[in-house]
Amino acid sequence: MKMDIQNFIGKFAEQFETTNASEIKATTEFKKLGEWSSLIALSVIAMIDEEYDVTLKGNDIRNANTIEDLFNVVKSKK
Amino acid sequence: MSMERFKDIKVLEGYGVKLRRLTEDKIELVRKWRNDPKIQQYMEYREYITPEMQKAWFKKIDNDNNFYFIIEYEGKEIGLIDIKNVDYEKSEGEPGIFIWDDSCLELDVPFRASFCMGDFICNVLKIKNNYIHILRDNKRAITYNKGLGYELADGQENVENQKYISNPDKAKKFREKVIKYLLK
Repeated sequence: MKMDIQNFIGKFAEQFETTNASEIKATTEFKKLGEWSSLIALSVIAMIDEEYDVTLKGNDIRNANTIEDLFNVVKSKK
Repeated sequence: MSMERFKDIKVLEGYGVKLRRLTEDKIELVRKWRNDPKIQQYMEYREYITPEMQKAWFKKIDNDNNFYFIIEYEGKEIGLIDIKNVDYEKSEGEPGIFIWDDSCLELDVPFRASFCMGDFICNVLKIKNNYIHILRDNKRAITYNKGLGYELADGQENVENQKYISNPDKAKKFREKVIKYLLK
């Protein structure tokens, strides 16, 4: 799948159930979202694995602050 | 998943983790973990556990109705996972988990351990009806276990240590979402 940040943000947002989509943008510090949890983290990692064929490690999530940071990590591993 | 014969289960392995059956030489490690406020605060029993109490507890659980495993990830001992009070006639038991190593707490490692344990519970012990208890203010555990398919049992809204029961359909939904990644 082509690496487009808006598409990535959309896929990222799909992993959340109760968070308003307007809160999820490139600059969002995703670990500060109220709904963020190990459950969502795993769903995001699995989504990235499925959609982008990129396997993230725990440190990749720990070291990323914004969704854009995470997108850039995924892009660098393609 | 590879494992030894049912009655002499020593190690479970799968999903990138090893679960080592608790032996007497490791009960002091578990006692240290268990007495730490960061773990203790989320347990139903929150009094200090002495070495003598821990030895007595181990004698009580070292049998075929209770299976406690130390979770090993990337060569480190990071927590404890278990199923206790297994009733083979009713096909029920009570799983539990706590993670000691904070670096493993918020990501995929607990789920790896839970999935490995889940295969053992389902495929080896053949237990179908799992239930758990969670303290009502333990939001992290509630979210985690909802992801594993647990739902609040009837009449538990005002209970301090709430009972949740397993919904296999909900469990399947999350499993299907993440299994391919966890098996890599």
